Amino acid sequence: MMTQATYAGVLDLTVGAFLLAAVLIVWRRELSSIVHLLAWQGAALAAIPLAEGIYRGDAGPIVVGVVVLVLRAGALPVLLLQAVGTADTERRESTPLVNTTSSLLITAGLTILAYAVTRPIIALNPAPATRAVPAAFAVILIAVFVMVSRRRALSQAVGFLMLDNSITATAFLITGGVPLIVELGASLDVLFAVFVLGVLTSRMRRTFGGTDLDQLRELRD
Amino acid sequence: MSILLLVPILAPLTATALAALLGWRRLTASVTVFAALAVLVAGAMLALRVESGAHFGVGHLLRADSLSVTMLLVIGTVGTLATWASVGYIDDELHSGHTDRKSAHLYGVLLPLFLAAMALAVLANNIGVMWVAIEATTVATAFLVGHHRTRAALEATWKYVVICSVGIALAFLGTVLLYFASLHAGASSAHALDIDTLLNNAPQLDPDVTRLAAGLLLLGYGAKAGLVPFHTWLADAHSQAPAPVSALMSGVLLSVAFASLLRVKSVVDLTLGAGFLRTGLLVVGLLTLLIAASLLVVQTDFKRMLAYSSMENMGLVAIAAAAGTELAIAALLLHVLAHGIGKSLAFLASGQLQAAHNSTAISAVTGVLTRSRLIGVAFVVGLAVLIGLPPFAMFASELSISRALAGANLEWILGAALVLMTVAFSALVRNGSRMLLGQPAPDSPTIPLPGTVAAALITGIVLSVALGLSAGPLTQLFQSAATQLGASQ
Amino acid sequence: MSALAVVAAALQVVCVLAGAPLVVGGMRQVRARLEGRAGGGVGQPWRDLRKQLRKQQITPRGTTVVFAVAPAIAAGSTLLIAAIMPIFALGSPLDSTADLFGVVGLLFLGTVALTLAGLDTGTAFGGMGSSREITIAALVEPTILLAVFALSIPGQSANLAAIVSATLHNPGQVLSLGSVLAFVALVIVIIAETGRLPVDNPSTHLELTMIHEAMVLEYAGPKLALVEWASAMRLTVLLTLLANLFLPWGIAGADPSPLAVLLGLVAITVKVAMLAGALAAGEVFIAKLRYFRVPELLAGSFLLALLAVTASYFLATPTH
Repeated sequence: MMTQATYAGVLDLTVGAFLLAAVLIVWRRELSSIVHLLAWQGAALAAIPLAEGIYRGDAGPIVVGVVVLVLRAGALPVLLLQAVGTADTERRESTPLVNTTSSLLITAGLTILAYAVTRPIIALNPAPATRAVPAAFAVILIAVFVMVSRRRALSQAVGFLMLDNSITATAFLITGGVPLIVELGASLDVLFAVFVLGVLTSRMRRTFGGTDLDQLRELRD
Repeated sequence: MSILLLVPILAPLTATALAALLGWRRLTASVTVFAALAVLVAGAMLALRVESGAHFGVGHLLRADSLSVTMLLVIGTVGTLATWASVGYIDDELHSGHTDRKSAHLYGVLLPLFLAAMALAVLANNIGVMWVAIEATTVATAFLVGHHRTRAALEATWKYVVICSVGIALAFLGTVLLYFASLHAGASSAHALDIDTLLNNAPQLDPDVTRLAAGLLLLGYGAKAGLVPFHTWLADAHSQAPAPVSALMSGVLLSVAFASLLRVKSVVDLTLGAGFLRTGLLVVGLLTLLIAASLLVVQTDFKRMLAYSSMENMGLVAIAAAAGTELAIAALLLHVLAHGIGKSLAFLASGQLQAAHNSTAISAVTGVLTRSRLIGVAFVVGLAVLIGLPPFAMFASELSISRALAGANLEWILGAALVLMTVAFSALVRNGSRMLLGQPAPDSPTIPLPGTVAAALITGIVLSVALGLSAGPLTQLFQSAATQLGASQ
Repeated sequence: MSALAVVAAALQVVCVLAGAPLVVGGMRQVRARLEGRAGGGVGQPWRDLRKQLRKQQITPRGTTVVFAVAPAIAAGSTLLIAAIMPIFALGSPLDSTADLFGVVGLLFLGTVALTLAGLDTGTAFGGMGSSREITIAALVEPTILLAVFALSIPGQSANLAAIVSATLHNPGQVLSLGSVLAFVALVIVIIAETGRLPVDNPSTHLELTMIHEAMVLEYAGPKLALVEWASAMRLTVLLTLLANLFLPWGIAGADPSPLAVLLGLVAITVKVAMLAGALAAGEVFIAKLRYFRVPELLAGSFLLALLAVTASYFLATPTH
């Protein structure tokens, strides 16, 4: 149904949208818009196995794509949005540890680093899907950077989910996905992890009166 | 055969289901203890059968070899001690109002779930399933660490969940890359992540991709094992958790994570040669040992002190794994078992001290030996085990590790490790004697001692002494594990 | 290189000269209508230019030849770009110099000329405007280079005519990831270079918010007319560049017939009018960014341009 050139083009665009969502998450500061961007990123992620399923006429990847869509573009962002809270002071990320301009330039650097690091992977299997791996890998690096440079608990949670999204994207791109049992287990784990993070955030709000992670500094040596 | 492999996973899961339905009560808590015992018994029964080679069950999904059995023994022993002590510990907390029924219910449900996840991690044949189990342990222990609803506990839980999840995510990436390499070496997609398939195809795996995967897996599983650079959660989580949970996490979970790393190492060494992971483990192990020893010196909190001691031991274990000889691996496994039991003793005793004083400051606690004979002796034995005094088993294991390092031409590393361990030794002795010896302060509260905690402490002391005097049939088990992991002579 | 191509090139210059104030007038009219005002009509900038050209030339005391010459340089460099860029037809006589780097250099020359003139006046406003303008220019130049470079990778040449004909032959390219990212980056860059909202407000004279207006505050009379004209021409030229790089259909080929040239003229007029209208409509809804937030926006567009280059370079399908 799809020619190889079209498949490569669609893969280009979805992985590009994936990377663009990551860049915008670094750029924006309102918590609700970050969570919405995460949902869009989940949809872009789901498009990868869906495109492969349509290209190869195989039902397996399509099922996986639908599961991913429901989970990462639906359930998880909804869980996070519930935890965003209604207090006005909670809607925006406070001044991040690295200012926005530097963050964006660091993101540029991380993208280039990702291209350098993934050369052996592309060398092993130069298919159109594998050639898009550097972009997914760049999002891994960007996600770690987001987790390290944010102050609000929920921004860290978004960074964690972005990390998981990007690793799943890498898995889809280089191997067509891991075995189903591993994928299901991984999805369940992520779901529970986010649930835990959500509960912790509301406990934090009750105990500390806010979710600024800088307040968590009682335990140190 | 499959039954024996399924028992360690299903027994704790049954306990979880029962606890979920019935809440916290004597019945469900006792079922949990029996479940932990079942893990131990299944491990013992499997021990006899796996010395010749690995056994598979449930299709090809579960695997029992000497390493799995050793880890099952560790999980079973420490699990029994910890779950037994939990019964009295939680009941005591409910009585004194330190916790409520809902938290106790959650505790009762999550504790056996934690045991089941660890059992799955050591019995899985597919390293993807092994990954899922290890991630499940993070999720299961999150609310166990946060059991006490204090600000400090909340902070510890957040750090724990976030740092371990990041580490585990990196391990997932490493697993995916290994899957990729395995598929390219000709494995079928259903079996590409199976340990036996990986071992068979190891020479054909692409070296560059495997190198990237090995690095990520070292970082990721190292995070769960408390190794540098993702170690910052350890002291907080282990000190804020309730004492039986700390015992389980320090005593078993760290080792289970390290066992996963050992499995990966056996594959990677066949592909890349022993050099790559040896260097990685040496660097990580020495740095962990350095940081733990330095921070041990400045500790003012006895639970954090015990947590850093665990980190120090994991550093030593990493260095032993780097040496990679049969003696090193066998000694490592003995070390892990002895450490598990000794750490449990120390943590269970300190849990009671915390309940008495409502604080974990070293300066607040004095003259324990005078105030409570059993708790004092248990703490002494625990500390003695940890600092490696004979006749306890860690003396033998540390001696063997030193011999193995010398034999593997790692003398400088050995020297550095010995210096750091001496530093840790002195810190532990100083703090321990400050707490245990001498006259207690005049207004010291009485130390509560619930029945099951006392029973667990006595059993632990007996086991430590027994293990120290003679490792018995376990020596053979450890040696066959070393051979099966492909250790060099 | 036919005679008709030469005529077309000359026609390009004249049309840009004549049409630039109309573009600005059109944008102001669209804004006015959207804001509920009657507006001054599309020809108002022409009337303003005529008024200013008739005024007496005043030169502030203490300014040097820099101040005197800068408007001419700004206007001249822009006209040169109009001459060498492919606007109606691809085969202009100066085509071989229509290199990406040449065009960017000429744009920068115009910016620098006005910046130096602002410094030359020795007033506070002049200096402030110049420093702000050059900050923005410093952030914008790398982005514009990267964005057009990203577009040049598929065609393997930095010559503008080559890029345009590559896009004409391979229309699906416009939808590729590199193109889309480069488009977004270029739009932000054009807004910054020409001093439109949200980077700069072209109609403000408040000291807190002026950038371009502060630089040219001391100009009056014919020189002011020239400066305003030069700004209008820059805007027109940049919009033309955007239109031809991404929507090149209608442009005449290298050896055009008179009908093709006429078609090219009509096509470009329509495209520029649409882009200008869209830009003006967008301005109605966006507030001006505070000055210290502008580097964020420009860093973001730099990142997008960089991603466009990497996307074009690494994700290029191996069909050429």
